[in-house]
Parts: sequence; structure tokens; C-alpha cells
Amino acid sequence: MSKYVQDEKPPMTAEAKAWLEKETATQEDRYKAIVDEQDGLIPEREKWYAEFLEIVQTKGFNFTGDQRRVIPKEEIAEKPDRPDAMRVVW
Amino acid sequence: MARPHIEPYVEFNEDYRAFDFAAYKGAEYKVLSLDVDTGASSLKVKFNGGYTRKPGLCYSDMEIFVLSGEIKVGTETWVEGHFAFVPAGVALGAMEVSQGAEAIIWYNDSEPTFEETDRDHLLALKEGFVSVNSYLDCPWASGSIVSPSTATGCMIKLLRFDPITEAMTFLYCMTPEFMQDNISYHDCAEESYHIWGTSWMMQFGDLPTGGYFWRPPYINHGSFRSKLGCIAIGRTDSKLHNYFHFNPWTNPDDNQARAASFLYRQRPQLFRWVGAGGHNHPHGPQGQLNYQKPPHDFETPGYGHRPDVSALANQSYTFREMDHLHADEYVHKVHHAHKVEEDHHHHHDHEHGHAHHHGDGDLDHKH
Repeated sequence: MSKYVQDEKPPMTAEAKAWLEKETATQEDRYKAIVDEQDGLIPEREKWYAEFLEIVQTKGFNFTGDQRRVIPKEEIAEKPDRPDAMRVVW
Repeated sequence: MARPHIEPYVEFNEDYRAFDFAAYKGAEYKVLSLDVDTGASSLKVKFNGGYTRKPGLCYSDMEIFVLSGEIKVGTETWVEGHFAFVPAGVALGAMEVSQGAEAIIWYNDSEPTFEETDRDHLLALKEGFVSVNSYLDCPWASGSIVSPSTATGCMIKLLRFDPITEAMTFLYCMTPEFMQDNISYHDCAEESYHIWGTSWMMQFGDLPTGGYFWRPPYINHGSFRSKLGCIAIGRTDSKLHNYFHFNPWTNPDDNQARAASFLYRQRPQLFRWVGAGGHNHPHGPQGQLNYQKPPHDFETPGYGHRPDVSALANQSYTFREMDHLHADEYVHKVHHAHKVEEDHHHHHDHEHGHAHHHGDGDLDHKH
């Protein structure tokens, strides 16, 4: 079996463990703040989605590079009736 | 879990903290994102004038991008735009910062470590070392190095490419008035730090200078705009494929299933072979793939032991692990909706009347 430097890493030190624990908690707070902020954008995001769907039906959708295809109305999805429909942070 | 979805995060709003252990004692840092299991992390680090560090090595692959200032590292001088990939165990020369500097530093495998030495570790993969000034010594290339590709006006400078995982580190820019009218997602995690300028994505709004994201696989982003242009440094943890579509309401499970449908259509024999693994259906194909072991590659035997490859293989994104940090009522509704959906799928799929279990390769069942 190949062996790598990472396989010989000394165990995590107590100060590194404390650092990881503290930063994990801070990251959870950061995540929560992002979720709250992004939930606050939902009304604006609804408008952005509507504008986007208008653009792909008129100017077209970039399917690769600058190549566009105008999407017919019947291919446009309906907003689903599920609670995560407007969720963007996972 | 690996890292949660951090997007968008603007680090300018946070204060630096003292780095009081191992790698950069005496410097200051901000965490951009962190793997809570391994300590692998993306950091913004500030070296104050007069900072010094003796020669030494780290037990994790490490990458650094100099945002400002000048850092002497052994016989080299790293200035604004300098990028280095330092494989685990490669000893860096003594560091000296006379006037102050800022950098983005990534530890890919574990928490930051430092061992004082002027010799490389015997197992160090020295040939992987990269040290280049990305501003001065690398050309801009069209974003069409991958296909389907980004629109004209999004360009990249490839700084590091791993041939085994196809992980990349790259500078990218968007020209003023850049626009791309599609929604994108990838099979890989993607990360970016905005060095200068603002871009806009339809889900998240503006990402300004100092803006950052760590985005797990299969998460919608785009359409895209940049009014005045921007320059950023980005990374992926494995191969980047652009899946473009125009349905704003899909979730990561929908997107992952669609990605698998591409495999089904475009590499049908591989799909069948992979899909058979871990599934003991009595009338189906029998486990060609043992998920405890990576498939044999005659060209690169033993690749599965590589730390980055095994870390990727062991990552599991359920996209529900952070639900406890969403609003209670919302989470309750989501769980209820998924419970109903799962119950329905199971009832339907098990109508053939005999017991079998689903292995990791069961693409229709996300628990």
C-alpha cells in the first residue's frame, strides 16, 4: 500500500482541537446568519427568477458558451409546491 | 459532514483573530470555511510587518495566494498575485515579511500544522510543488476549456490541475457587462474568493470584493452578471462539469438525479456497472463494484489511498445536515415533505415483493 505524508501526521494537538471546536461553533453562527440573510432576499429572488424566465423565453438560454436557445413557454417549469422551493443555502 | 454551504460570505465585515498555534503563530487569520471533521480549512491570513517563521513543513497539502504585500520564502520573493501549491511534507524556506502582507491560505487535508525543518519529508510528493506569479506569468484562457462552457467574457488562468481528481485552482475574471443566462451546478465542490469587483448570481445576489463561497456539489447558481467586472481565485475539489438548465426551483437532489441521467444516457455501460455495486437484487446484475474498495485502475494502481481521493470518496452530502440551523417551521415542513416523498418511493419500488437493500449507488434514494 502506498503511504503518504498525511498518514504520518501526528495526532491533533490540544490547542488545535480547541481551535477546531471554537471555529466550528463560529462557522455554525456564520451559516445561520447567511441563511437568515438569504431568506430575507426571497421577495427579491422571486422577481429575479421571473426576469430570468422572461429572458430565456425571449433572448434565449445559454446552453453552452454564447449559443442560446429560446425556450418555449411549455418547457418552463411551474414553481413547485414544496417548502424548499425558494431555498438556496443547503 | 465535510463543510457546510457557505455562500455568500463577505469577510471584510469580520475582524482578524490572533493565530496562536502551530503554522502561523504570530500572524492573524479569518476562517472562510472549515471542514469540521478534519480541520481542513480556507483562511485569510494577515502577516504583520516583522513576521518571521523558520523553515518547516506541514502534514497537509497547502495552497497560498498572496493578495497584497511581499513575503520572502527561502530564496523566493512572493508578491501580489503569487500562487504556490505546497504538497504535504515539502519544507518551505524561512518566511520573512518586512512590511506586512495578506494571503488566502488553504489546508486541504487537515488542520494547519507546522514542523520546523529544512528537509522535505521522505514521503513528500515534491514534483507537485507549484510556485508562480499568476498575474505576471500566466496567460488568460477562454472559459471554454470545459464544455458545456461559460459565455465569452469569463476567462481563467489555470494555476494547478490534479490529473487524478481533476481538482483545479484557477484565477478567473468576468469582463464588464458579463452576462450568462443559465443556471449551473457541478458534481464537485466549488470555492471562490473575490479579489476585486462584484459579480451577481440570481440565487444569492451580489458577491463583492472580499466575497467568498464554499459551495457543495449540485447546488444551483446563476444566471450570472458582472456590471463592472471582477477577478477572483477559485478552486474545485474534483472534476468540474457545467450542468446548465433553466429551472430555478430544483434542489440538490433533483440536480444530482439529473446528473446521473446524463451518465445513464452518455455512458450507459459505465452507469450499469457502477449502479450494480452494493445492490443485491436477486434478479439484477451482481456487485461488480465493491464500495469498500476503489475500482482498479491499471494506469494508476493504489490511487485510492491518496489522501485527497479517499477524502472525496468518504464525503457524503445529504443537503439536510444543516437543517437544524434553518427556521423551525421551515425545517419541519421540509422534513414532512421529504418523509411523504420517501414513503411513496419506497412503497412503489418494493412492490415486486421481495426484500433487497440499497447500497451507496442507489441514486433514487436519498435518506
